[in-house]
Amino acid sequence: MATTLARPLNWEKIPEDLSLDIHDLVKSASDVIAPLGPISRFAARSPWAGLEKQSFEQTARFFKKISDIELFPKDSVLQTARNQDEIDIHFLEKGLQQWLEHQAIELPYTTAQEFCRAALTQNPLSSDLTVLPEVKSLAKRLRGYKFHLKARHSVKPLSQRFDQMNGEWVLRELNRNMIKWCKLFLDESQAVWSMPNRDEGFYQAWRKMASLDPALTQEERKRIKNLPKEADLALIESLSQLGISYSDTQDYLEAHLLALPGWAGMMLWRSQQQVKDCSFLTDYLAVRISMELVLMKPYLPLLKQGGEEDGLLESLVAAWLHWGNLPINAWYKMPASEQKARLNLAWRFDQIVRNRLWLEAWEKTYENQLMEQIVSKQQTASSQKQPSLAQFVFCIDVRSEPFRRSLEHIGGFETFGTAGFFSLPIETCKLDHHHSHPSLPVMSKPQFKVKEYLPESQYQPFHERQQAVHSLSGTFKTMKHNLLASMLLPEVSGPWLSMQTLARTFLPRSAGRTFRKLLDTWTMKPDAQLTIDRIERPKTELPVGFSNEEKVHYAEQALKMMGLTDHFAPLVVICGHGSHSINNPYAASLDCGACGGASSAFNARVLAEMCNLAIVRQALKARGISIPEDTVFAATEHITTLDELHWVYLPQLSDQAEEAYTHIQEVLPKVSEEANAERISKLPSLKTNLKNPHAEAERLSEDWSEIRPEWGLAGNAAFVIGERSLTEECDLEGRVFLHNYNWKKDKNGSLLAGIIAGPATVCQWINLQYYASAVAPHYYGSGNKTTQTVTAGIGVMQGNASDLLSGLPWQSVMQSDESLYHAPIRLLVVIQAPTEYVERLLNQDRTFKQKVQNGWLRLASIDPEGNWKSWS
Amino acid sequence: MSHYLEFMTIPMIFLIIFGISMVCSIVLLWKKVPLHYVRYHIIMISVPPIVALLGLFIDHRTELVGPWRFDSLSWLLAFFVLTIGLIVQRFSVRYLFGDRSYRKYFTLLTLTTFADSLAWLSNDLRLLLICWGVTLLGLTLLIRLNKEWQVAKNAGTFAGRQFLLSWLILLLAVVWLSQATGHWQLSLILENLAQLAPWERTGISILLIVAMMIPAAQFPFQRWLLDSVVAPTPVSAVMHAGIVNAGGIMFTRFAPLFSGNSAQVILLVLSGFSILLGTGIMLVHVDYKRQLVGSTIAQMGFMLIQCALGAYLAAIIHAILHGLFKASLFLQAGSAVQHGGTHSLKNRPIPYIWVIIGGILGLITSIGYWLTTGGEGYQIISTLILGWSVMFAWTGLVAFGQGRVGRIAGFMILAGAVLMFHFIHSALDRLLHETILSAMQPPAPAVIWVLLILLGGSAIGLWLAHKRSSKAFTITYLWLVHLGEPHKDLVESHPKYLAKSLSYRGAYRWQQH
Ligand SMILES: [Zn+2]
Repeated sequence: MATTLARPLNWEKIPEDLSLDIHDLVKSASDVIAPLGPISRFAARSPWAGLEKQSFEQTARFFKKISDIELFPKDSVLQTARNQDEIDIHFLEKGLQQWLEHQAIELPYTTAQEFCRAALTQNPLSSDLTVLPEVKSLAKRLRGYKFHLKARHSVKPLSQRFDQMNGEWVLRELNRNMIKWCKLFLDESQAVWSMPNRDEGFYQAWRKMASLDPALTQEERKRIKNLPKEADLALIESLSQLGISYSDTQDYLEAHLLALPGWAGMMLWRSQQQVKDCSFLTDYLAVRISMELVLMKPYLPLLKQGGEEDGLLESLVAAWLHWGNLPINAWYKMPASEQKARLNLAWRFDQIVRNRLWLEAWEKTYENQLMEQIVSKQQTASSQKQPSLAQFVFCIDVRSEPFRRSLEHIGGFETFGTAGFFSLPIETCKLDHHHSHPSLPVMSKPQFKVKEYLPESQYQPFHERQQAVHSLSGTFKTMKHNLLASMLLPEVSGPWLSMQTLARTFLPRSAGRTFRKLLDTWTMKPDAQLTIDRIERPKTELPVGFSNEEKVHYAEQALKMMGLTDHFAPLVVICGHGSHSINNPYAASLDCGACGGASSAFNARVLAEMCNLAIVRQALKARGISIPEDTVFAATEHITTLDELHWVYLPQLSDQAEEAYTHIQEVLPKVSEEANAERISKLPSLKTNLKNPHAEAERLSEDWSEIRPEWGLAGNAAFVIGERSLTEECDLEGRVFLHNYNWKKDKNGSLLAGIIAGPATVCQWINLQYYASAVAPHYYGSGNKTTQTVTAGIGVMQGNASDLLSGLPWQSVMQSDESLYHAPIRLLVVIQAPTEYVERLLNQDRTFKQKVQNGWLRLASIDPEGNWKSWS
Repeated sequence: MSHYLEFMTIPMIFLIIFGISMVCSIVLLWKKVPLHYVRYHIIMISVPPIVALLGLFIDHRTELVGPWRFDSLSWLLAFFVLTIGLIVQRFSVRYLFGDRSYRKYFTLLTLTTFADSLAWLSNDLRLLLICWGVTLLGLTLLIRLNKEWQVAKNAGTFAGRQFLLSWLILLLAVVWLSQATGHWQLSLILENLAQLAPWERTGISILLIVAMMIPAAQFPFQRWLLDSVVAPTPVSAVMHAGIVNAGGIMFTRFAPLFSGNSAQVILLVLSGFSILLGTGIMLVHVDYKRQLVGSTIAQMGFMLIQCALGAYLAAIIHAILHGLFKASLFLQAGSAVQHGGTHSLKNRPIPYIWVIIGGILGLITSIGYWLTTGGEGYQIISTLILGWSVMFAWTGLVAFGQGRVGRIAGFMILAGAVLMFHFIHSALDRLLHETILSAMQPPAPAVIWVLLILLGGSAIGLWLAHKRSSKAFTITYLWLVHLGEPHKDLVESHPKYLAKSLSYRGAYRWQQH
């Protein structure tokens, strides 16, 4: 973004191929926002995935400048973390030394160090100091140095600059119009009368409609009518009329995208879904900038940008006064070079640097704690083990860790961790659903489709029962929207709705369960089968089912990824996970992040079924993975709100497997109870001591008034890639993603490369999404759940109208309005492998290296001798 | 004798328990009271509605206790308002957990609903004014409780101003009324209506109508309700369920004043327009809560039209059932996310025979209803709505049902709904028919006007829906969008207040608030 070509061109001398060019500019500008999909399949995304070319700190500076958003945790958060011993001051000191060593400051080292240390640890600068008359007069004297302290100039939208000069209305009016048109245009069938002309594209539809909009003045409507017919021409034309030079264009577009990153993100997402919608983002920018021109026209041209750095020198002088104990008089006595050096140091050691050092100390402290725990426990871990009765494969999700610990605690079980889509690039389609769900990490595209199906004789009655349920809600909706029928509807449905309301409010647990059971009894969903085998269907885009070679290939890949290629137990349970909550627009954010915001039970079942096929086993044997005859694969769903395992696929069991199964069924209640007790105690509650955590967990999942049904992935901090024996004895507090990896079975490093490219990226995105929602809850979080409204069926807005909110809601990262629950630290990736492996990885995977170098995640490794090495 | 004692005591018991509950809810504000006290608070406030229910079923006479009036209607309204308050407060225990103003919410919600229920128990108009004023004040404070959020603050201020206007007009009407009749007691005033000159009656009626159209968010006063979407969901639930319908109750109480009064024309015209506006807003807007606001505007319009046509009993039933309906829809606002595709009927072949049967069934229902009720005035309108709804529901549930199972299930649902409808209506009818006076039959032009609004509105809607590419549709669409939009000062693109001071995993400091 910083590197737009400095071509001193003006729009008057437009190059011939500019219309082509503008699309490229829009495309590069779109790196500053992240695509935002519908909330029903909430996808974990890093908001800064397109910005990893620059460092985290540079990005923080960029956002501070453009949108006034802090990307580092606030002072108050850092201070409380320090008071709770989560930040070791020793690491802060180290960080400061490192920073000072990299600076060329013409000051004595100790002076600089003392000043910086005081700035880091003492009270923040109060604004009273900057307005002192002596500070002001000194600043006036020192004005000559301002030139040296100049930051890179930033491009802000004209409406935003106008805003600073003349009140807020233009920017607000522009945002309000954009919100209105975006939601009407992107609506997915909540409105009965949808926006006319939608199929002509956003810009065209807007131009036609807005020229008649009673919300605008006559004059404004006329200006809209005279806009060019094509979006790209309109964009170029408007930019030129606003006087934006060619070299500033990309920055200008970026700034506009960042005004409402949610709606722009939704446009970007839509443009990536279908070829016919590919120009949505250009349309969006054309509408936005044309609208800006329409509103700003009477005020053009604006005066020059300036006066931005006012008060800078005052604050630097005050900083020396406050932290450096440097009286004002002393400035007049010192030589010019020292004045310059001092100003320079205070300028460089600004809030962003200070907060970065604090954050890094916090991260280091966490790393240190994790290292101590792993390294100390490693020696005590028993080396020899009994062959296990059953093996469980869980998703890497942080919520699996406490459950796995409880399960292993029983004895006789072994657990594995792998990404919850189980290496299956599939799109799933449930029985009687019209839409299929891409059940894999959001950065990949599905290659197969797997559907649930039933023989016609069973399907028809089920379908009819299912339709009866839909027709009830459908009729309710159509009656609501019919003028005559809607007058009677409250009187007909009121009594029924209030009975439901009363039951759900006063008996949340039993009412929820009863309603669920009633519905299940009515629909009687039969056990559906999956289209594992390839069905030739030339017309559909994706092949349905797998060919035999593909089955073998994906089964092998999945087994290798999870590190389960020998010593098979009689029963192997593949555990997907999902969450149960009601009346929660964010339900999907609690499901599996590796499955694009859905339960991963479907994928678990596909894999288990494939691994039970005789053809697959034969072929696997030839490839060196021999699964014993008696071993059976089954699939369950780990319900994270309840800490329960529900069987979703249980084939005919062998005798040994049967034995294992009986044992599992016996111990599961105990495991659930243990996991419940640990997890529920972390959720804020009115009750001081919980007698029955299990009942409480059930209530949380069925209570329609529950604002925090579970913590989800809040608290996530590290991703350990290594053998389970490494972490087996550690209580990782549900903060760590665990992926099995055995470097000895990965001579060429391809498995590790695969884990880093796939699961590690998913974890990093989840981590940064939580991070962003915690540090900038108003911008990257989803705002307060209690004042949200669902809009257009695709997302939520805050209050009357707002940006389409992305990220996690306030209540998912906060334990109350005043205190944060999620620790905003960047993901620490720990790889258990020899140093050469990590080096090879960094050399081969440039993107990963860039993430490490630029501070988008942190890397450590632990070699076979148990030595810890930090790479960042 | 014991029977007599019982009669005497229920209102007394009610008032005493009422006072205790109120005090208990204020105790919650005291920061030393531990937070789990909220659970006892919920138990405390669940007693008054139970007593009100007892009063409704045991106490059948009209009882004047001091400035209070206890009859079936006031018992029913008290029970209704207090129950809504109870449900919403129980819901808020978890829903608002962690909120900065947690304690204040409960106290204010209690105050608002308690004052609202007292307003409808008052026989003395001064008391009614005070209670209604406190209700409006409580609601204003609830909307703007999140003071850090500028938008919520603005919305609260705006609504507060409107409420104040409405209250002042009501004050004027009440003062005028008492000056003219020499009484403050509503029961005495209504007995002495003959002392009023016709122009005075009209004047007072107009004042009352305007005062009640503001809280009912009728055109042109719909703005405050549209803007109050910023309030937390439970506050919206209380607002839409228990407060906007005050007009229906007030008109029912003042029924004799209105009978044969030409001021009703204002109500008919503006409410008729509000029905169309509200429905239109619901059709074009895409925010779930905004659609609900549109629906409330239309429903309140219908309720006021029922009043204008003298069908007070129908208006009260509508007000109560709509309240329960809307409260439920607001509380489940989190479920409005679209999951996968919707099951639309559009792409399916129309099962003509079944649809025709539905039409016949609707016709039979209409004729049956018309014959049994006598079919004059408002009955004509309910005949039309009832027949049409039966046909409509039949089409959705039975005609388009899939297979035998689907049709049987649809039929059962329809039958259940009809039975429940009949049961509730006859039960309420039995309870209230003595208390609520049936007014004179409305003049024929009024009925025709309402029919025109309903049928004409439906026809225009249908016509426009089929001409989506026409300019007329576009302009109608844009106007409806425009009228349903929030005020421009009440939109903030990002809730900046959230970024204010935070701590990290601080023990539950907020509980001290
Ligand atoms: Zn997962």
